[in-house]
Amino acid sequence: MVEDIILKEIQRKVYMTFFQDGLWDIFLGIFILGWGLAILTNATYLPGVIFIGLYFAIWGTKKRLTYSRIGYARFSATSRRRITTRFVILGVAVLLVGVMVAVLWGIGTRPQWLANYFPLIFNGILAAIVCFIAYWARVNRFYLYAVLIFLGAVLHMWMGVRWEFGFIGAGGIIVLIGLGILIIFLRKYPKMVEETPNSE
Amino acid sequence: MAYLYVVEVADFLFLLRQTGMTWGNLSAHLSKLETAGYVTIEKEFLGKKPHTIARLTDQGRNAFEEYRGTMKRVLDNLPAK
Repeated sequence: MVEDIILKEIQRKVYMTFFQDGLWDIFLGIFILGWGLAILTNATYLPGVIFIGLYFAIWGTKKRLTYSRIGYARFSATSRRRITTRFVILGVAVLLVGVMVAVLWGIGTRPQWLANYFPLIFNGILAAIVCFIAYWARVNRFYLYAVLIFLGAVLHMWMGVRWEFGFIGAGGIIVLIGLGILIIFLRKYPKMVEETPNSE
Repeated sequence: MAYLYVVEVADFLFLLRQTGMTWGNLSAHLSKLETAGYVTIEKEFLGKKPHTIARLTDQGRNAFEEYRGTMKRVLDNLPAK
């Protein structure tokens, strides 16, 4: 049992290395910021464009920035399948939220209660998705991000703060935290190149 | 070996960061594990930079599991405080 726990700890440590560069935080922060800007400018396509564009940008940055500093490890096929399944579920959930928004804004006769509490429901769903990420990836700071996202709706509903400002505020804070983590990461792990046998 | 056991493949830099070993020390360890047939080492160049990839062989995986079993028995048989 003891060595099983230790192996799980090692696995967790290995898994966590992929979250210690803050790039996923920046991704989430800009995505949330994008929602705020989309509502502000009525550009409904913006979150989708940001999500897809940023997703590939993050992987490219990870290759250049992260792997040259902490190295690269590939998980077993089973673990990779599990991670992919989670990402697919997450992607579908985000897509469903997008479709829900489009449909609800599209139909003119939505129920009154839905119109009244829509920001709360929408931010709640987004916060729940972020909570799932926190739980799956075991990255506790993502719970804080979920609270920040939900707080935007609460401030809007009961304190009259504009809904989009909640997104912009939460997204901005998340991006700043991500940048802070990235700076710490870059300082802690300088770029390393393997030595060749005759380089000593 | 424990680090290689939980992943399919890892590069030299990754193992170096995770284990906290020195360059020479890790290199010597990997060489010994390779000689024993527990690990395969692939060397390649990414651009002009050398890149070493390590992978646990089936023999290495079995040896590690056997080691785990032995350690478990040893720990289970320790007298209670």
